[in-house]
Amino acid sequence: MIAADVVERMKKNLGVAWREASFRDTFKSGGPDTPVTGIATTVFASFDVIQRAVAAGLNMIVPHEVTFWNDRDDQTLVSGDTLVFEQKRRFLAAHNVVIFRMHDHMHDQRPDFTYIGSARELGLEAKYETATGSHRFTVPETTLGALAAGVQKRVGARALRVVGDPNARVSRIQLGVGYATPPVNAPDIDVMISGEQQEVDGFLDSPEYVLDAAALGIPKGWIMLGHAVSEEAGMLEMAQWIKGFVPEVPVQLVKAGEPFWAPK
Amino acid sequence: MPRISRREFVWRGAAGAVAAPFVLDPAPLGAAAVTAQEIVDRIRNAVGVDWKASTVDTFKAGEPSTPVTGVVTTSLATIDVLRRAVKAGANMVITSGPTFYSRADTPAPPAGRGQSASPQTRPGDPVFAGKNEFIKANNLVVWRFSDHWQLRTPNPFAQGLTDALGWSGYRSSGDPARLMVPPLTLDALAARVKRSLDARGGVRVVGSPQTRVRSIAMLPGTVAIQQAVAVLPGVDVIVAGEIREWESSEYARDVVNAGIGKGLILVGRSLSEDAGMRVCAEWLRPIVRDVPIRWMPAGDPYWRPAT
Repeated sequence: MIAADVVERMKKNLGVAWREASFRDTFKSGGPDTPVTGIATTVFASFDVIQRAVAAGLNMIVPHEVTFWNDRDDQTLVSGDTLVFEQKRRFLAAHNVVIFRMHDHMHDQRPDFTYIGSARELGLEAKYETATGSHRFTVPETTLGALAAGVQKRVGARALRVVGDPNARVSRIQLGVGYATPPVNAPDIDVMISGEQQEVDGFLDSPEYVLDAAALGIPKGWIMLGHAVSEEAGMLEMAQWIKGFVPEVPVQLVKAGEPFWAPK
Repeated sequence: MPRISRREFVWRGAAGAVAAPFVLDPAPLGAAAVTAQEIVDRIRNAVGVDWKASTVDTFKAGEPSTPVTGVVTTSLATIDVLRRAVKAGANMVITSGPTFYSRADTPAPPAGRGQSASPQTRPGDPVFAGKNEFIKANNLVVWRFSDHWQLRTPNPFAQGLTDALGWSGYRSSGDPARLMVPPLTLDALAARVKRSLDARGGVRVVGSPQTRVRSIAMLPGTVAIQQAVAVLPGVDVIVAGEIREWESSEYARDVVNAGIGKGLILVGRSLSEDAGMRVCAEWLRPIVRDVPIRWMPAGDPYWRPAT
């Protein structure tokens, strides 16, 4: 079994056309001819994830996100780093690690496993979703503070951030993942739960909107899980999916985890 | 004498900035009140950097011809800050961040944003409406000052952060963006950053809490990966506003996992600029002596559930 076989089977089982122009979903280390001993799915191909995958005998990594700290995985952009860039590259080469990113096609796929995984982890059950695939959930009314505390407990994020009045009564939740934030000013949404958002100078969705809503007494909240936390859960579904058509080698989730902690 | 909040007073005392004029010269009787446009003209003359043809530093709300009763500087002209300004008798707000939630800063949401899922007529956005009404009812003028303010040397946002931490005396070679401080742990540094900036839940850290820290780079605002890889090798810790989480936080995580004792502290974009707008208030006082100038921090937008 070589990496090309795995990629071919993913394309065949995807259910949507492959975007040949995608610069994201390509090989980032190794190549199609690399023999595969096992497959790790993860949100980020961090140095730590790579080392743990290799230790577990898995030399193919399918991350949702980047390996070399920029969206194009353009190595020239970061090769000036003198701390870890060469060391990471050397480790990848020494252990014959092949990395193939699954980002654009993971979001194209139905269902999109990032949402499925995040909803599963958050306890947003299908019975609460207003329409399948809407990622909108109407849950029993609670306060933003209680909802956020429950979310933190479930996902275990140490550095989760919340905007809005903790006492606001909320029940209508819109789920977003990664950098895809749902429109913060949708009138029939009380709370966004999402990954990461540019704080200022974006297109619209700013924490400032929620601060002003709170100042006006309009119930509105935003729970930011962080990019890694919001998209990692779905890499379990991704591992199970790959396992279904790659029975020859072990396939498992190797968690990158949350990069942040918060001071006391 | 302008009213000074306890926090502002405490800060001034701590920094020993006694040269700042506490007592303002009263405007000569019968003199025409200074307008918002005149204040902006004075800023443009004094800022010391060429004015850009394309810039976000423009009026966002209100009439430039409005006579100004007082100026407030802030990192974010939230409704809360606007209310505090009105309470203090000020009607001009100078903000380093947007007023209407986006870089375009238009007083209505972009077309198609905020649509209801149900097939009803789209209601007007109540948050935009509420803010516009408050601005109009109180004859407020909001002007953004970001592109040009941050081009000054030394960077006023870095200077503000360094002052807030009480570390102005530890600048290496006079640059407030580079500090050499008495050794402390990353944990202690993060706690000090949080306390000094009155942060609630916005401070996030990458690195091992026990990492020993001596050299720090202050990078307020938004930091790109190119800057992070250029700066981190030369210091122990970067204190930044915000980064992209597929960039610098993953880079820092890899550095730490390689066993290198470094750290990254993120305070949030707005909070990282709050103290720099206090520097702006100090800078404005001798330029705009006609009316009181006050700094009103917007504060940390984020909180975190108690665990």
